[in-house]
Amino acid sequence: MTEETTLDELGIAVRLAAPRRPFVLIQLEGPGAPREVPLELPEFVVGRSLQAHFTIDSSRISRQHFTLRRQGPDYLLTDLDSANGVFLNGVRVHSAVLRDGDMVQIGDVVLLYREGDG
Amino acid sequence: MSLFVRFWGTRGSIPTPGHSTRRYGGNTSCVEVRVDDALFICDGGTGMRELGEALLARSSDPVDAHLLLSHTHWDHIQGFPFFLPAYRSTTTLRVYDVERDDDRVHRLLLGQMRPEYFPVDFSELGSRIVPSHLDGGCTTIEGVTVRAFEQVHPGRSFAFSFAKGGTKVVYATDSELDRTVINRSDILDRPHALRALPRDALAFVADADLLIADAQYNDDDYRDGWGHARANTVVDFAIQAGAKQLVLFHHDPTQTDADVDGKVERAMARIRAAGAALTVFGAREGLELKLG
Repeated sequence: MTEETTLDELGIAVRLAAPRRPFVLIQLEGPGAPREVPLELPEFVVGRSLQAHFTIDSSRISRQHFTLRRQGPDYLLTDLDSANGVFLNGVRVHSAVLRDGDMVQIGDVVLLYREGDG
Repeated sequence: MSLFVRFWGTRGSIPTPGHSTRRYGGNTSCVEVRVDDALFICDGGTGMRELGEALLARSSDPVDAHLLLSHTHWDHIQGFPFFLPAYRSTTTLRVYDVERDDDRVHRLLLGQMRPEYFPVDFSELGSRIVPSHLDGGCTTIEGVTVRAFEQVHPGRSFAFSFAKGGTKVVYATDSELDRTVINRSDILDRPHALRALPRDALAFVADADLLIADAQYNDDDYRDGWGHARANTVVDFAIQAGAKQLVLFHHDPTQTDADVDGKVERAMARIRAAGAALTVFGAREGLELKLG
């Protein structure tokens, strides 16, 4: 630490330089499980379509089933009018701000949401 | 017909920001109920601030909303001065009292913006704020049947129901249901026994698709006379009323996310033991349900 550098500035520099853990969606059950997808886009579509960012080959999932949209430090999950709905920790929801450890079920697929710090 | 319910504030008594309340949220009571184009705002707790921001971000159309306050205790009105649409000349906000000759809600919203309490005077709000009433407890607003039911709470409080097209939502917070339990001595002597609730309260909630209910306390931390219910009593209420989904609401400010998780788990266990078909979960900020 130089004479000009305060402890506060050093702390900020260390925090900025620290490696960032990405937000991730971990598929625990269903076709293709287990697998993990980092959420690296501001908007992320999960569905059966090959155009989805996270494609899951299940007949019980809509082509575009739900979206995850970055809102500040959080991700907002929104059901895209899917046929079989989105269940968050067992409750059917239209949308929700996700929290670390949330379990998202769509059809026969179970996904675990893990927060990062990136 | 579309009906959406979104939680903007779920906490009771006082805001509780911080890591330990991040999952369920720290803002005080505010719930948005949208039925087709009709916008109802249940309570103006601190969650109302973010609702206001969201409404302005959602559309450039003028905000036209119906504000129903269960009562005027601090945790149900403090968000109102921070509700940005109230400062827009294009906004119309109808503020409801239950009875025709009552203007208490309007007076207290105005009173909390006196210079002793808040830097901006009520008269400086640019919106059209219209004192309204629920015709003594039941009226139709934009095709939605809205009913009120008086609850047990210091200083009075009201529950509200919203019904349209066979779908019914009940918002019933700040209600000390335990004081109305018919077999009240059983609560302590036989805590697992069903707690029988009065017929008029059950009729008000009957067959609700969604019951949002004050469940501030567990059996062992209940405060007699403070105006709030035990979660187990609310579970029995929902079962007897035939509600389909129960949302435990108005979390005690001392309850961490883990505490609320525990409250929900015990509610689930009581429902299983009763053999009832009732879904229960904890009210959580940012959660939106689609009904109907």
